Parts: sequence; structure tokens; C-alpha cells
Amino acid sequence: MSERLAHFVSEAPFDPLEVETLTAEQERFYMASQWRMMWWRLKRHRLAVIAGLALVLSYFSILITEVLAPYDLHTRNIDHIYAPPQLVHFFHEDRFVGPFVYGFDYTLNLEILKKEYVPNPAKVQRLRFFCRGDDYVFWGLIEGDRHLVCPAEGGTMFLLGTDRLGRDMASRLLYAGRISLTVGLFGIAISFLLGITFGGVAGFFGGWVDNVVQRMIEILRSLPELPLWMALSAALPVTWSPILVFFAITIILGLLDWPGLARAVRSKLLALREEDYCAAAQLLGARPSRVIARHLLPNFMSHLIASATLSIPSMILGETALSFLGLGLRPPVTSFGVLLTEAQNIEAVALYPWLMLPMLPVVVTVLGFNFLGDGLRDAADPYAEL
Amino acid sequence: MTAMTHRILVHAALAAVLAWAATTARAADRPALVETPMFADAIAGGTLPPVAMRVPDAPRILSFDGTKAIPGRHGGELGILMGRVKDIRMMVVYGYSRLVGYDRKFELRPDILDRVDVEDGRIFTLHLRKGHKWSDGHPFTAEDFRYYWEDMATNDVISPTGPPPQLIVDGERARFEVVDERTVRYSWSKPNHFFLPALAGALPLFIYRPSHYLKLFHQDHAEPVALQRMVEEKRQRDWRALHFKQDHPYKYDNPEMPSLQPWVNTTESPAQRYVFVRNPFFHRIDAEGHQLPYIDKVNLAIASAKLIPAKAGAGETDLQARNLGFGNYTFLKQGEKRNDYTVRLWQTAKGSHMALFPNLNIEDEQWRALFRKADFRRALSMAVDRHEINQVIYFGLATENNNTVLPASPLYKPEYGTKWTQHDPKAANKLLDGLGLRERDGDGIRLLPDGRPLEIIVETAGEETEQVDVLQLVTDAWRKIGIKLLTKPLQREVLRNRVFAGFTQMSVWSGLENGIPTPELSPRELAPTSQQQLQWPKWGQHVETKGHAGEPVDMELPKRLQELDQKWRVTSDRASRAEIWDQMLKIHADQIYTIGLICCVMQPVVVNNRLRNVPEKGVYNWDPGAFFGIYGLDTFWLAPDAG
Repeated sequence: MSERLAHFVSEAPFDPLEVETLTAEQERFYMASQWRMMWWRLKRHRLAVIAGLALVLSYFSILITEVLAPYDLHTRNIDHIYAPPQLVHFFHEDRFVGPFVYGFDYTLNLEILKKEYVPNPAKVQRLRFFCRGDDYVFWGLIEGDRHLVCPAEGGTMFLLGTDRLGRDMASRLLYAGRISLTVGLFGIAISFLLGITFGGVAGFFGGWVDNVVQRMIEILRSLPELPLWMALSAALPVTWSPILVFFAITIILGLLDWPGLARAVRSKLLALREEDYCAAAQLLGARPSRVIARHLLPNFMSHLIASATLSIPSMILGETALSFLGLGLRPPVTSFGVLLTEAQNIEAVALYPWLMLPMLPVVVTVLGFNFLGDGLRDAADPYAEL
Repeated sequence: MTAMTHRILVHAALAAVLAWAATTARAADRPALVETPMFADAIAGGTLPPVAMRVPDAPRILSFDGTKAIPGRHGGELGILMGRVKDIRMMVVYGYSRLVGYDRKFELRPDILDRVDVEDGRIFTLHLRKGHKWSDGHPFTAEDFRYYWEDMATNDVISPTGPPPQLIVDGERARFEVVDERTVRYSWSKPNHFFLPALAGALPLFIYRPSHYLKLFHQDHAEPVALQRMVEEKRQRDWRALHFKQDHPYKYDNPEMPSLQPWVNTTESPAQRYVFVRNPFFHRIDAEGHQLPYIDKVNLAIASAKLIPAKAGAGETDLQARNLGFGNYTFLKQGEKRNDYTVRLWQTAKGSHMALFPNLNIEDEQWRALFRKADFRRALSMAVDRHEINQVIYFGLATENNNTVLPASPLYKPEYGTKWTQHDPKAANKLLDGLGLRERDGDGIRLLPDGRPLEIIVETAGEETEQVDVLQLVTDAWRKIGIKLLTKPLQREVLRNRVFAGFTQMSVWSGLENGIPTPELSPRELAPTSQQQLQWPKWGQHVETKGHAGEPVDMELPKRLQELDQKWRVTSDRASRAEIWDQMLKIHADQIYTIGLICCVMQPVVVNNRLRNVPEKGVYNWDPGAFFGIYGLDTFWLAPDAG
């Protein structure tokens, strides 16, 4: 046994920053967390920011659809069937009167049996704001009748026209958005959960577990998507409430979407599990679930989010396609796909083109998610050269 | 329309002795015949005899009296669109060559036959035209009737169940005799009211067959070795299957089979385009001596049913009504000028354009009990806002009536259509409360006694979006009386089978087939007589199968309807028959076995401006009518310009 050395502590002052003193600015940069750096990087991606803003706006709108929509989803206006969109004007005969629409003069063209609506300049109908309109139950909880904007008393305001039962397309679009946009979120949540679990297990354990999961994924991916959706959704009983059907559809979409994500997770984990810190955690006795969730996943969470963002549009499109084929959501629940089904005839194309407007929000959301996802993917690797 | 239907003398002929005055001229007064240009080469080449040898000695001469039609010219091709390959049978319907057929006034006239003698409504003597030939030039004779009766209808192998029901009266088969080469006789000991209408049907009873052709496939006639070889070649199980396969006078998909229709099929199935070429031996001519049909070829193009309105609007058809709906009218009308066609609106003759059929034979006991309560059906009917349906979907041009006979029928009384159809949710609610359906769930939906919500699934063949729209309006209206309606679209066949099996709660279909009957027409549609009656399929099946399947009627009033129907069969004077009709219609009006939603919706007909002789106004009906059949597709012709 050797003599124990005396414990020595230098008394000299030590300044860890004596080599290089960081300014407050620099400090903020170098000490920034990964998320912060992603945010900085994302901000530089113009398109992604704009897309993100548009998405935030549309998702905010679905929180307050009842207030935004001037009419209820099911309000029928029998006197205004197939009315074309009414434009919002501000000036009447060169005089500013605030936002208003011109009322319609209606004639039934008996020759071709077409309902014809002509804006009548004598009928100036000023829009009202924060007004009382159709009754609603806000999120099924609070009763109310206040709307952001309503037509003039006794007037009409069909900003996007009306459909064959005289229902306001603008209001229907807003309500449809609530369904279609949330389908994507719910679906991706399910797919995320499944993808991370299966991918994580496969990547971390490898061996036969990996084998089983991989083969499962291959089988799932080899099934043609559309017929599978169709079979699953045709199996939904007709007596289910629309809400139940909605959840079933999201689950179906989620169940079929996870393999891609699982693959990404698995390949990342295969590489990361060999890292020293992973071995250290295991040696310290951490259980696999803790190792995966606490030590491995955060390493590429940003990637996952980016790829999830990119697969939301496919969910929205999937729902739209299913509903369009009449296998997804059913009226009275209204989604973009349901609205598009109703425009699936030659009359909509030739006579009432505004019925095809639901295409627009589908395109906008899908593009929005694609741009945002693109930006996020770049941002997820903040050190990459631009 | 009124004048027309008042003269539906269809069966006035049946009771008394009646021989139709021969509407056809003897050979001597046959006008000088005009050769058909299309056959010029074939005649010159000797493969086809000249027209004088082709038309019967006493052809049917169409004078076009009382119509705006004018004699035309030969030639041209007519394009028609069909939604399914199966629809090529429409050429047999439109062609409407029948032993006897309805004319525009819905009176029966001999067509293929020279004349019919009817004695006591039970002895029918059919006289063929001299020199009438099949489309392959083989003579059409009494042998063709004998072949059908002896070698098919009463042959144990081909018809194990015996002849079709129209040839049986109270269990007694027809007595068939060949009088001479051109005369056959069918007789029963009691009157047969269904015989002639069956021959004139849109889907006719074919009591004759091209015997010279079918004998090739019949064991009793064919040479055994050759027959066996053909069975193997065509990959059929046995000669019976082969015979069935070759014998498609209505399906019209066997180009080899000779026919008596104006155009014969020349295309093997399956195909996307079927060409029907004029029958060189057709028996009708016009007053100027043109052998009909005027048009050389009819091309049926098969297109997706959903695309047909678009194609019609683009001028891709010369004559179209099938697969077009009232909702397409505006679109079609807009394309009129650009594509040189005219859209006409024809009347329809169904009792109801759309009606709901509560299934009184549903398996579920609770629902069955409920559907069988008249007050429940009345409440459902009164809750429907027919005025709104009319305004929203039909521009207010339809009739807000229950499913019953139309004003054009001499049997019509306004109260048949209006009882229990006034929109009155309050009264409907009261009726439902009176039935003890007072409990409601959180959404305000009433509950069945066993606690299930009152959700009615209406199953639809979903072939028209219009149905879905109307059901949407009904859904909203029924909500107000605490009943939830759900719509389930199904394939037509699946829907029917589900109804027959008693799984379906309620279905949507069109109403009475013939909305313009006369007292002489059988009221069987009003009584449980057929499985196809979606409100009581099992009772109907019981009648159809003579008690072997289905269920006997176990409700008082439907039983009464059956008795009345039986009574009609043995009654022969007009007043008593009208009285029976009246009683039956009253029961229907009061009991609302079917809930008529809307009636008398017009049918758009797209007509190429070059196509002549298509009436401006007509009745578009399946039976009687055969759609274009009674207006004579063979008399339509193509002018060189729209003029």
C-alpha cells in the first residue's frame, strides 16, 4: 500500500473563458439548444414560414369555425339554390359604404330550367359584424348565435355561392376544414406512435424481432393502398355515428401509414445503438424503453417531425379520396372529400363551377404541409451547409 | 295525355268476341316497294332477294295517320349510348316488334301477326303474315310456335317447372293447336287476361322461336355427334345449357340467332360498341313503299353511366333518354345550339318517381310490429315536406302526390294522392306519441320499446344522385319528428336480395309501374302478388311460388287486397272492375303501404336535329310503352340537314 498523496488544489484564479471570451451574443449562439437552432434555420426558409403561417391560420380557424362561418352547416336557403358567389364590395356609386354585397334578383329561366341570379345594384346589403345569426353549439358544448360576419337583415351573403340545396359553400368549406384538417393530425399521431414503437423495437433489438417487423412492413406495403382502404372502410357499419366513423377512418389511415416512419426510426436506431452513450446507459441498468425514449429518440426527433409533417398531406388526400369514392365520411359530416363528391357531375363543371372550390383548400393545405415539411427537414440539420 | 289514356282499351277486347279488323292490306294493295340502297350490292350479287321477295305478302303498312310523322328516306346510322353491356337488350325494347303491340294510344294492335281472333277472352287464334321471314330469310311459320310450345315450354328438360305463368290459368295449361301453316290457337277453359298484354310487353313473352336455328341445339332434333361437338366447343355442361346460351331473343347477345326485330345484332359480347344492322326481312313498310326501318345501322356505344349526360351534352348521341335525369336538363339544354340537338321533355307514367317502401316482412320483430302500424307509416308520410322536395329539386314542376294512379287515368281520384300527404309534423308527432314512442335519447331521437333509437336505414340502389338529395331532405324532415334516417347505397341486386331476405328496413324505388291504368288492367300491383314488391316481398313470394316459399299474408287489409285482386279476375263488367280498383286504391291511400315522395317528374330526351319523326311530346314508360317502342324507332329517319 502506497502512501496517499496529499490533496492539492491550486489557489490560482481560473477563468475558463480566458482563452476566448464570448460575447453575450456568441454565448447565445453556442449554447443554443437544438430546437432553437432549428427555429433559426427555419426562419430563413421563406416559403416554409409562409406555409407555416397559412397552416397556423387554418388550424386556428377550425377552433372557431362556428363563429367564422356565417351560416350553419345545414342551413338550407330554398330561395337561393345554386346561387353564384357574391362579391364583397366597398364602394357603391363611388361612395364608400363599407363592406357590402349586392342582393340577387332571381329568375327561373323556364327555357332551360336554370335558376338565374343577377346582382341588383339597388340592393346594397351591408354586412354586419359580431352579429346574431344561426344558432350553434360551440364544440358541442356552449350554445351561441354570434358570428364574426353575417348578411344584412333579410339579405344573403354567399361568398362562395350555394349548392343544390341552397347551402352556403363558404360555411360548408369551413366546417369541412375542421374535419379534413384534423383527420391528418389524428392519423399522424397514430402512425407516429406505431412507427416509433415498431421501428424502435426493431432497431434496438435487431435479430428476429427486426426480422418479424420488417417482414410485416413489407407485407403491409405490398398491399395496394386504395383497395385496402376501401375494404376497411366498407366494413364500417352504417349505423355508426358520424363521429365514430370519423375516428375509424383516421385509425384506418394511421394504421396504413406507419411503416415508412418505422423504417426511418429503425435505421437510425441501428446506427445509434452502437454509440458509447448508449452502451453506458445500458451498463447503468436502463431498461430498453428508457434507452430508446430518453437517449436515442431525441437524437433524431427533429427528423421524425419533419417526415411526419410531410406525411400529413397524404392523410388528408387519403381521406379526401375515400370520401370522394363514397367510402369515407358520409353526410351530414362534411369534409373536403364529401364536398367534392357532390361536385362530381357534369352540371358542376359546366354550370356551377363554384361547387368545385373545395379543391382549393385541399391544394393549399397539401402544398402548405409540403413546404413546411421541406423547411423543417432542412432545419433539422442546422449544421448543414446551405 | 288524357285523351290518349282514356282510350287505353287494352283489354276491352278480352271479354267479348273480337276480331281485329285487319289493319294491313292484302298483297294486291301493297304499295310499289322501294329498294333499300344499302342492299343494292347484295341484290346485284345475288346474295339477297329483291325487296318484293323480302317483305311479307301482306306487310304491316304504317300510314302515320293522326301523328306528325312523315314518310322518310332510307339510310344513315343512329348512335345511342348505353350504361352497361347488358343494356343491348334495349334494342329489343326500342325495336318493339311484337306479335301484338301497343300503339301510341296504348291500344293493342297486331304487329307481327296479321290478326288475332279472340273468343270469350279464352280462345286466341293467331294468324301469321303470308311470306313473313326471319332475319336470315327462313320462313316464319306455325312450326316456330309449335317448337316453342312442345320442345321448350312443355319439355321437361328445358322447362322443368312447366310453361310460364301467363300461359296457365288456374293451374290449367294452354291447349295449343296448329290450325294450318300460318295459324295457331291457344285456348283455356277460363278467360286469360294476361296473355295478350304479355305478348305486348316491353319484356315480351316470346311464344315463338326460330325453330330451324334452335333445332341445331335440341337433343330431340339435332344430330347427336354434331351436337356433342358443339357442346364441347362452346364449353357448355350439356345440350340444355347450350340451348339456353344460344336462345337469347331478349338479351339479344347472340348475333347468330335469327330475329324479327327491325335491327339485328352483329357484335359478339363483350364489346364496347355494338352494331345493329337492319333486318332485310322486316315486316313493316310505310305508305310510300319503303321497307322499314329507315335507318341502316344503330350503334350502341357502352359508356360509364355517369358520363352519359356529359356525352349527350357534347352531341355524342342521336337519341338518348336512358341514363339522363331531370337534373341534367339545364346542362343538356345549354349545349343544344352548339351540338345541334334538341332536348324534349316527355311525361313519365309511373305512380311515383320516388317512393319509400317500409318492409312489412322485416326479420326484426320490433321493427316489423312498428312498420305494420298504419299510424306509423302515416306519420312518416306526413313528416315529409313534399313541397320543399318539389321546389328544391324539380323547380316546382313535379307533383306532390302519394304513390297512386295519375290524373290521366280514368280511375284517378284526387284523394288517393293527397290523403296523409299534407306536410304536418305536429300531427305526425302526435301520431307517434299515440303509438307510445314517447321516450327520446339525448339527441331527441325517439326510442323503440326495447331502448334502441328509432333509426331507419333506407337502402338505395344509389344509381341517381337525385335520390340521395331527396333522402337528405327527408332526413331533415324526419328529424323534426324524432326519427333518424340513414342512407345506405347498395348494388341493385344486393339491395333486392336484402329486401327479399327481410334484412332491409326500408328501401327507395320508383312507385307503381303503370300509373295510367284502366279498369280493364289487372290491379295486381296493388295486392301482394310479387316478390318484387319491396313493401311485402315475402307475401309476394308466397303467392308467386304457390306457397312453397315466403310467408302467407297475415294482415287483414293486405289479405283484403288479395281477395279484391282475385275478385277482379272473375269480374268482367267495367263498372264492377272500376269499383274494385277504387276499393284497392282507397286502402292504399289510407294505409300508406308505400310512401310516395314525388311524382310525375319529366324525362329529358335528347334528339339529334336531323332525326325526324320523334314526337315532341310523348310518354317515356317501361311497360306499357317500351320507352321509344310505341313510337316506332324504325319510323325515325335521318334527314340530310337539321332544317
